Amino acid sequence: MKLHQKGFLLVELNSVAGLWDEDLIARTLREYGHSGEYWENSIRVALDELAAAGLIIRLQSKLKNIRDKPMLTFFYAVTDFGKARMMDTGLLTEGSVE
Amino acid sequence: MTTIAAVDSLRTAALKAHYSRLQRWGFVWALWTAVLWGAWYVPGTALWYEKPYVDIPTDQMGLRLAATAVMTWVHAIMVFVFLLLWNGVLGKIADYGRTMVRFRRISKWYALASLCGGPLAIFGSYMAMGFVGPVFAAVTSLFYPVVGAVVARLWYKEKITGRAALGMAIIILGGMAIYGPGLFGELDISSNHAWLGYVGGIMSAVGWGLEGAVAARAIDVSDPDAGIQCRFSFEVLFWGLLILPFLAIFTEFPISSLIVDTVTHGRAMLWIILASACHAYCYTAFYKSFSLIGVARGEAIGNLYAIFALIFIAMFTLQLPQWYFIIGLILTVLGSFVMFSEPAESVAQLRDTDTGFKTP
Repeated sequence: MKLHQKGFLLVELNSVAGLWDEDLIARTLREYGHSGEYWENSIRVALDELAAAGLIIRLQSKLKNIRDKPMLTFFYAVTDFGKARMMDTGLLTEGSVE
Repeated sequence: MTTIAAVDSLRTAALKAHYSRLQRWGFVWALWTAVLWGAWYVPGTALWYEKPYVDIPTDQMGLRLAATAVMTWVHAIMVFVFLLLWNGVLGKIADYGRTMVRFRRISKWYALASLCGGPLAIFGSYMAMGFVGPVFAAVTSLFYPVVGAVVARLWYKEKITGRAALGMAIIILGGMAIYGPGLFGELDISSNHAWLGYVGGIMSAVGWGLEGAVAARAIDVSDPDAGIQCRFSFEVLFWGLLILPFLAIFTEFPISSLIVDTVTHGRAMLWIILASACHAYCYTAFYKSFSLIGVARGEAIGNLYAIFALIFIAMFTLQLPQWYFIIGLILTVLGSFVMFSEPAESVAQLRDTDTGFKTP
């Protein structure tokens, strides 16, 4: 069974040094077979929640034109606190991913 | 250089707007919690005036608690149905399944949250109502954000600024101004069973306070909409597979006939359905607010239910609240504004996690 969506976002982010949200959104849409603005926004909200909880951090931001509207994009990375929470919740186990 | 400066200032303004929007959404969700929680009191109270519950004498405390268990179970099943509808529309049912199956590491926290909110808090609140009185029960419940804030602070370092703490204190004072004056006639320490009511009051404050902090452990890594459905799945199972069978086997209470009578009385079911709709979306909004503004703020704003409950009850009974309602209203609204006046940037990062990075 696939991971739940927030778990997937954390695992993907943890597999690299960091990612721009657009790349992360593209990976998530592909994983779950979704498309469209609703799902993109839904993933952005999940990323905002993870950042508010301190599991991931926004390292950079850029203002881009997306669908003819100026929109902020962020470069995210998992924090040490996020890694600890991933260990607690079985998303990360001693160097391997469940 | 001018262009770079202009782009940077545009980006800074957009960032500020982004954090303000997140803070506003967090508070809007928490406010919805309060409105729907307040509205829930109308059908929740009306249910006691319908068969089979109206036939239970007020002095038969044991039977009333057993009836409450039956009522809460049927109610939890209906809440589950409403949440299924919600997550169906949002396309999150698959995510609910994926969260629910990870019991050992994730959904066990939702199971524990349902124990804190259900059997501990609701049962405690009923004990407080039954052995001391409803006003006492309402006042003790108002302290649940303090428990939530302390646990959230100690357990996972949630940042609670001086301004947030001041706002919470003002909101709690406002709640006490609404219910407090009624308390004087209600406290009676000469009663032999009053201590059970006080224990119940503590259980309700601790239970609801803990629920937020415990659930936040799982909301950290899972979706709040899916999470609340996990929480109610466990509540349905706790009552239906453990507590009610236990009561049916080991006590004399007529559990089966109470269940049959509840579901066959149309008016009782109508109130349960209305109460469940309020409760389902009140709790959804509650969990969503935690993920954006934290447990302490979410629970404190949720406490505004005291205001909305009185407004809705006044609307349905056409009886105006007492004068001290106005003082309570002013205080709670003031407390909310104090909390909302925190800088949005400080709410955008809720934990003291010492990442070594600064929010851009």
